[in-house]
Amino acid sequence: MKKNFIKFYLGLFAIAGVAFSCQDLDEKPEGFVNPGNFYATIAQGEAALTGSMEALWNAWGPGYSYGYGNFIQDDQLLDGDLNIGNGFGGDLWSQHYLAINNINGVLRGIKKGSLAGVDEAELAQLAGQAHYLRAYNYFALVRLFGDLPLITEDTPDPVVTPIKTRTPVADVYALIESDFLFAIDNLPTSWGGEPGKPTKGAAQALLAKAYLTMATAPLNKTENYAKARDMAKALMDAGTYSLVPKVGDVFMPENKFGPENIWSFVSTSDDVTTDPQIWTPEIMDGWGDASIDVLWAENWLDKRPDEPRQDAYLILEYDGTPWEEFTEQRPFIRKYVMPYITDDQYNNLQSTSITPIIRYADVVLIYAEAENMAAGGPTPAAYDALNSIRRRAYDLPLNVANVTVDLALGLSKEAFDKAVIEERDFELCLEYDRWFDIIRKRLLNELATKYHPENIGNVTDDDYLYPIPDFDAKILGSQNPGYTTEN
Amino acid sequence: MNKHLLKKNSRAYCCMLICLLSVTGSATTVLATEARLVNHVSAKAARFDKVISGRVVDENNQALPGSNVVIKGTTVGTTADADGKFSLSVPDDTQTLVVTYIGYAVQEITIGNRTEINISLQPDLSTLNEVIVVGYGEQRKSDLTGSITSVKGEDLAQLPTQKVGEALQGRAAGVMVLSPSGQPGGPTTIRIRGMNSINGSNQPLIVIDGLQGGDINSLNPNDVESMEILKDASATAIYGSQGANGVILITTKRGKKGAPTINYTYTVGVQQLRKKLDLMDAGDFARSINDNKATLNQPGSDVIVPTPVFTDAQIAQYDKSKGTDWQNEIYRTAPIQTHQLSISGGSDNVQYLVSTGYLNQKGILINSAFQRFSLRANVNVDITKWAKFGVSWAGIKEKGNTPPFGEGASDIDPLGQVVSLAPRWGAVIPVYDELGNYSRHPSGFGEPNSWNPVASGREPFIENNTMRNNLNLYLDFKIAKGLTFRVTGGAVTANRDNYRYLNQKTLDGFKKSGTGYVNASEYARYQNSNILTYDKHLGQHHFTVTAVAEQQVEINRGSTTNASGFLVDGAGIFDLGGATTLTASSLSTKRVINSYLGRVNYSFGEKYLLTASYRADGSSVFGANNKWGYFPSVSAAWKLSEESFIRDLGVFSDLKVRGSWGITGNQSISPYATLAQIASGYNYPYTGGDVTDIGFSIIRAANPNLKWESTTQSDLGLDMGLFNGRLTATFDYYVRTTKDLLMSRQLPTYTGFSSIIDNVGKTQNKGLELTIGGDPLVGDFKWNTSFNISGYRAHVVDLGGLEQLPFRTTTGAGYGFSTNNNTALLYLKPGHEFGEMTGWISEGTWKSSEADEAAKYAQLPGDIKYKDVNKDGFINRQDLTIIGHAVPNFIFGFNNRFSYKGFDLNFLITGTQGNDLFNVNRIRLERPGEGTSTALLDRWTPDNQNTDVPAFISQSTRKSSFVGVPAKVSVTDTRVSRWVEDASYVRLKNITLAYTFPGMTTSKLGVKRLRTYVTAANLFTITKYTGYDPEVSSFNSSDARLGVDFGSYPTSRSFIFGIDLSF
Repeated sequence: MKKNFIKFYLGLFAIAGVAFSCQDLDEKPEGFVNPGNFYATIAQGEAALTGSMEALWNAWGPGYSYGYGNFIQDDQLLDGDLNIGNGFGGDLWSQHYLAINNINGVLRGIKKGSLAGVDEAELAQLAGQAHYLRAYNYFALVRLFGDLPLITEDTPDPVVTPIKTRTPVADVYALIESDFLFAIDNLPTSWGGEPGKPTKGAAQALLAKAYLTMATAPLNKTENYAKARDMAKALMDAGTYSLVPKVGDVFMPENKFGPENIWSFVSTSDDVTTDPQIWTPEIMDGWGDASIDVLWAENWLDKRPDEPRQDAYLILEYDGTPWEEFTEQRPFIRKYVMPYITDDQYNNLQSTSITPIIRYADVVLIYAEAENMAAGGPTPAAYDALNSIRRRAYDLPLNVANVTVDLALGLSKEAFDKAVIEERDFELCLEYDRWFDIIRKRLLNELATKYHPENIGNVTDDDYLYPIPDFDAKILGSQNPGYTTEN
Repeated sequence: MNKHLLKKNSRAYCCMLICLLSVTGSATTVLATEARLVNHVSAKAARFDKVISGRVVDENNQALPGSNVVIKGTTVGTTADADGKFSLSVPDDTQTLVVTYIGYAVQEITIGNRTEINISLQPDLSTLNEVIVVGYGEQRKSDLTGSITSVKGEDLAQLPTQKVGEALQGRAAGVMVLSPSGQPGGPTTIRIRGMNSINGSNQPLIVIDGLQGGDINSLNPNDVESMEILKDASATAIYGSQGANGVILITTKRGKKGAPTINYTYTVGVQQLRKKLDLMDAGDFARSINDNKATLNQPGSDVIVPTPVFTDAQIAQYDKSKGTDWQNEIYRTAPIQTHQLSISGGSDNVQYLVSTGYLNQKGILINSAFQRFSLRANVNVDITKWAKFGVSWAGIKEKGNTPPFGEGASDIDPLGQVVSLAPRWGAVIPVYDELGNYSRHPSGFGEPNSWNPVASGREPFIENNTMRNNLNLYLDFKIAKGLTFRVTGGAVTANRDNYRYLNQKTLDGFKKSGTGYVNASEYARYQNSNILTYDKHLGQHHFTVTAVAEQQVEINRGSTTNASGFLVDGAGIFDLGGATTLTASSLSTKRVINSYLGRVNYSFGEKYLLTASYRADGSSVFGANNKWGYFPSVSAAWKLSEESFIRDLGVFSDLKVRGSWGITGNQSISPYATLAQIASGYNYPYTGGDVTDIGFSIIRAANPNLKWESTTQSDLGLDMGLFNGRLTATFDYYVRTTKDLLMSRQLPTYTGFSSIIDNVGKTQNKGLELTIGGDPLVGDFKWNTSFNISGYRAHVVDLGGLEQLPFRTTTGAGYGFSTNNNTALLYLKPGHEFGEMTGWISEGTWKSSEADEAAKYAQLPGDIKYKDVNKDGFINRQDLTIIGHAVPNFIFGFNNRFSYKGFDLNFLITGTQGNDLFNVNRIRLERPGEGTSTALLDRWTPDNQNTDVPAFISQSTRKSSFVGVPAKVSVTDTRVSRWVEDASYVRLKNITLAYTFPGMTTSKLGVKRLRTYVTAANLFTITKYTGYDPEVSSFNSSDARLGVDFGSYPTSRSFIFGIDLSF
């Protein structure tokens, strides 16, 4: 009996051991952040905004985006045919919204007071950046996709409460305007060691561009021309930014962050999406992935003989070989390669060139366009603005009239407007800007006739908007016209 | 609410614990009851005339407590006590007693005049009475009510691959084994009864000596005593939330009583590429490039005719030299060798076994190799008559390296990879340039931004070290007669050290001035199981009751340091201080499972069998609202062969029908997946330089309701034995339905997320399995054979309202399809089967005689003729249809063993029927302007119209042919049936010829046993598939992506010689 007694207690201990060592089933993650314990410091807020820029870089990164992808259908790039197909550009939509989700997190954190107690001025700058970035994201989305699901820090969690309607374009612009205005009031004029961050000037410039866009298609609210003009003028008068005098210097590394470049996408040298060979012809040991439509280039070359800007922005010859004799028999894009990066960088497949989002030349042209349209005809100020760009293209003094280069006097409002758009086509070529001009000025038919007659039946007004990704369109219950949502 | 539930649950554990305690506590009571029951029988038999007493022992004269002694033809009987003694009152006319004990042959004893009888039982060698391992216990094979296949360790040892998982291929019905890549030390995909989960793992649970979550391929095959494959719910439900994919129980060898035995085995062999792709030599390639170039006449203001890439002089030179054979440059004949040494033996109280193994394998791809050193030791000790313990330890050191190949090496630029790229580099490119450096791809043809494949293969320094420790101990108490309590504790740990350095001769290293990482991680899984078993015979009734309380904890930790910008390329990753950029990351996760389970086995008269089990699992990885899950099962069997009306037929030595039903779960999601997450690593350089600002991004939305996938499985089975067991057959039909699938539920991307993990959807899988085995020849010349065949149909019932789910099957690096923009190859759709490929059907090319018909589609003769599925005059997305099926109709294995005197011939044929592979590699190998495949030589020309390879058509001709006619064909990506190939195959997987030297010869040499053998693996394969191997799956991580061949490491053919010595 005693034996059994011992056995009994041995068993008891064993089982008791189980009872006391039961593991807790609640998860207490280590090394893991969730929205509940984030957004507690300025640095964490900044990190979320930084994350939002990384998302945009995925969709806009040079080379893979302009060269192959989301903007290839304009008239400037080879293989573009002005015709937007089903499913095109969907990652712009998703990456912008990914960015907005991160930005709204910061704004929600600020509103909830999770940053209470930090320096007011720092908090205002953080909020300023958040509003600025959100406005920029919606500005890109509303132009590309039209009516949008509008999500702000006050919107109930869309994962739990799905959004099934699209906010009209005009209302999206209302948010863009108020966000940019907030940013103008709260952003600094410069950031010191972090020149890639948005400034007050960038907010002014982009708001001017937003007003100008509101004045044109699809809203056509022409009262915004004056607002665009005034906003551009305010920035020009402030004197923070200016045109780089020589056109060949605009993209030089020392000018990456001013005085002309206001806000750009930047990348590190080892970023795989920026291999500069994407932009260059075989004769330069390049891969020739992204190059220029020959007809578009010939148009420019014919219209402006011997313009130094062409050589500054395009690869028209290499080592004495003209583009006609390249293996590819077409010109290439210089803005992102030598001399704007070093030979060493090039040979190591590296690039630290920037991709401008807004630069001062753009602001000057916004001013010229808005001033002309608001005043009902080209004023001397409008002429001065436009001519400063034309003179710079020839490396001439910006403020000295030059009959050969300056635009002919006495143009009608329409003719001047056309001249501005053409100047934008050349000056801002291959900077992601052309497609937005095409859609706000409704140029598709004209350009199809000129460059893609084989495609005339296929290019329609439906191509002024990109399609919404299928699944999102299904949830929203609407797709942009001309696109089918199917498998 | 959540807290409340938890409280309720913890109360539930307490109740169960108290139950357990009281069961143990009443041990003495049980013992007393036992005695009373025996007395009861005696009392009832009081009118009987004589008392027979005696002792039941085994072949070694050891007592067999619990053996049954029954009067033949009645239910009157008793069981032997702890000393094997029994006493039974019997009627005077009693002639015969029947004595049974699990694992021993039934013995009938004629009493005669005796009253004192000692009975010695002999172990039962027929498989029916074989005892096999089941979850948390063991059972006699003939008593099984579930579907379990047993594989013997000796069938595994000769495999050249040294992977236990792979050794299962073709051996068991319903078990599909894929070697998705031929990489040494690479993974094995095992599917028991196909697939049910879409997002979760479909890999079965591996239990090694009772420890769950083992790694099957790190085992030394020589250490395996037996493997049991648990297939139906009656067998697997005992593993609850981890049992849905089936369970493989592995028992390792242990020491046996007797003098020390030393066994030594040595094998050596070679492996080689099974087949090469047909590629053009340099001259043909250059001509093909030129011919295509001539068609690229760009429309500028005038049609510009391009200059040829290669001059005639160059081509003449290429025709002479034939150029580089890139496949020969990256593949080689590779050696493999193993050593095995084991010592075992033991006394009555202590038994031991120590075994070591060493594997050294080079891969057929340059710079790939695998080494494994393993040591396993175990000791069993009988402490007293009622307590014993055992301890085992296994240490396994693995070291492997394989250069990046195909897809999956996410941190490597896909352009720098080897297997898919080497055949795409034209034969005109030399491996080295004039200076002896690796050549760069010239511009003008092919893919100039890709990297020299030999450099990508040979230059990376990659070393992956894993040190595994498996520690396992048990303590057994016989608390009372029939009542045992077993406590087991175990730990499985794996420490990994991975080093990778890409020097400046590789693409990434070149761009980043040398780049690499150091990664260290630690994995540990602890398990404690407490098993109480009560076994009771009551006349014809036999009960076994098992109750278990168990807990498991799994911890993963690791850190990685990425470095680039090395000042000194040679020092590489071992001089992190010399790197200009360092980025670090680390992680830690923990998973906890608490479980309580019980099982009852009941049999009546050896004819009627019933098993019921129930398990409750609490798991930390699930949502706060769903921590606990419950998994019941019930099964029954009827042994018809025990019924006199069947026995009297004299045909069946065994005939049994089985039926089972049960629920199992799948909890394979990562810890913390139910919580929202903001993650680091989304940096952006506001500085404008190479220093990035730290960025965080919200990457996951919370889902507190997440719970297990649950699989309900029903199985109907029939076991048959004829001609005294010389012919056996087993047949099973099953239906498995899985609901609450753990899946990414797509979210509209404007939420900021693309998906959330949720329990959505339902799949169903129905299948048949048949195994036929037999011994057609016995005697001197023996032939043992077995054939198994199985098939299933898995389809999606529901995706939670979603119409379809796309799966990514390339990185999109120039192959032309992806999940972006709805251009996925593989979708799951409700009502459709797994593995359906979506695309356009190509029906060859348009012939000249069909020019008018072609023109209706604005196509020219020589263009691909697509099928206008909806006949609307356009080829567009409305014409997308099913172009292939990845899941085989059936798979089979045919295993044979012939033996004559000392000779032994053993071969295994395996195969699949009715499955397709999408051969992604061909898309670029056959693309004009870069393709190297000889298929391009067979392209359409006016003289060669009977081909499915399209012509090279001049762009200006095309534009001028259909001016003003809108395009009618918009095949916007490469999902075309042209790339779908029948991947059915029949393969001689393994053939071994062995000779065992006669005892006389060996004893002269002082050797107990001497055996030599030669083995060939993958000796021949019959298939129409044109890729390296039909047995691949490049996207192995999810079963929804089966059937894609994209740059997989090719399987090899190998020849091995071995020698086996025992002392």
